[in-house]
Amino acid sequence: MNDRYKVPGQTGDWFGVDLPDRPPVKRKAALREAAMGNPATSLHLPQKKEPVMARDSPTIVRRDHAYHVVAEDYSYKSEAYYTILAHELAGDDIRPCSRAVLDAFVVPVCLERASHTGIPVVPWGISQGYVPLPAILYGLNYFATTSEYSVVQDTTQAKEVIKHITNLGKYPFCYQKISDRAAIHTCTAIFGWTPGNNDEIVTTAKKIYDLFAIPLVSMVFVQTGNNFALSSLAPTRYTHLSDEERAFLSAYRNHQEFL
Amino acid sequence: MSHLGIFVDRKTLSNADQLNALIHCRDVAEKLGHNAEFLFPVDINKIPKLDALFIRARTDPMNITYVAARMAEFHGIPVLDDANSIQICGDKINMYSHLIQKNIALPKTVFLSKNDISVEKVTDLFDTLGTPLIIKEPSTSFSLRVEKVLDIAGFFRVARRFIKMSDWIVVQQFVESTYDWRIGVLGGKLLYACKYTIPSVTFKIQASVNGHVVYCGVESMHQVAVPPSVISLGINAANAIGNGLYGVDIKNNNGDACVIEVNDNPSLESGEDACYPQIYEQIVDYLFAA
Repeated sequence: MNDRYKVPGQTGDWFGVDLPDRPPVKRKAALREAAMGNPATSLHLPQKKEPVMARDSPTIVRRDHAYHVVAEDYSYKSEAYYTILAHELAGDDIRPCSRAVLDAFVVPVCLERASHTGIPVVPWGISQGYVPLPAILYGLNYFATTSEYSVVQDTTQAKEVIKHITNLGKYPFCYQKISDRAAIHTCTAIFGWTPGNNDEIVTTAKKIYDLFAIPLVSMVFVQTGNNFALSSLAPTRYTHLSDEERAFLSAYRNHQEFL
Repeated sequence: MSHLGIFVDRKTLSNADQLNALIHCRDVAEKLGHNAEFLFPVDINKIPKLDALFIRARTDPMNITYVAARMAEFHGIPVLDDANSIQICGDKINMYSHLIQKNIALPKTVFLSKNDISVEKVTDLFDTLGTPLIIKEPSTSFSLRVEKVLDIAGFFRVARRFIKMSDWIVVQQFVESTYDWRIGVLGGKLLYACKYTIPSVTFKIQASVNGHVVYCGVESMHQVAVPPSVISLGINAANAIGNGLYGVDIKNNNGDACVIEVNDNPSLESGEDACYPQIYEQIVDYLFAA
């Protein structure tokens, strides 16, 4: 459970899925985009090396009569999860709630819940072997994390990835059939705010925040034409935040008004 | 005719008794006039078409059973176990917290964050909870990650292993007994009672001893043979979790009954129902009455 970030991710903001002979892609959700029209630029920018928050140590921000738990990792049985649980049991208004973090990081549950509120999502299925191609694959078991996903385009790739994410067929997995022309876009939302993205993503990020109330989350979208559909939500490491994102998070923590 | 789905995972079916119990459950549902079919993980998309769902696979918030339970809830379909029960019972920190909130009798229990583990703290735990101590990794099932430790070095050895899987662990007073009561509760009412006799070579209901897995003995008990205080404690403990199907483990030394744990998705295939042949009828009726 604590090996959430074991597989090194590739860099790059956008990638198509129609590249031939490419090995399976595993990426952590981390996008570096120049912020445009960014409300945080006038705020204090933490130094590059200055940690915006301590790793492994969730921060609680009291705002709008509620407690907000800001953490890199909200996964089940993590320090952040138990911090949330303790506040819930004490009867506090805590955001996100423990149910939301469980739902958000189990891909099929996340997508089903999102689709019920009108957020466009990628069609998904559960399999133990067969997968239509090309597709995005997510593990679905105790050891899986949404930080790791694979895009597969041929059966050889698919077999290799499935063997890995199912622990040799022990567990089922979630697949998302995508079009040959699809592109995958990953970005970070901080309290629902996503710098430098198009209007559709900005609107969706706000809806996702309204639904799950997770202060810091990476969103994986599949773009087909001009449409974006949610593929998954994933934890975000502080070190993957851009300067603008760090500034925004820092400002929120320090109760600066910018919303 | 109503349609019952029995959610199973062939990867967690480990013996013929479990298979027979599933077939018995399906037969009972059909005798009661319902359609019943087994659903496997790849059949998740059939859940919206069901009238009720009975999950009979190893439950955990991180596995496919949680997806099945949530899918049923999204579509307003009655489900055992519900996602809330899976979330609470799947995590002993959460489960004990609920029991403590309702003042359910427990062995002395402490939750320890990995950030708080120190020689001083562990020494203090031995002083206050006694020796030996029981350490539990929160999502353990079948006593898999439950260990008894006798000293500080042993504590650190076990804790180091468990905090790789969870940022918090459970430390508990050891309560010795030769058997556990198992009180089965459905919708806040007694469903069955049995005794799990603990093998003499271990303190757990299931353990690996010298490379061999030893299991507890199971003895179904009529209600009249169970102390009323044990039954009421079992029901109160189940109610502290929710309104579903639970198996409550209770130790009753010298009349001081205390809850060891509350399980969702309790075993029903090892003879627990010998004195209660109507268990599956009651479960199916409960689901369709919901």
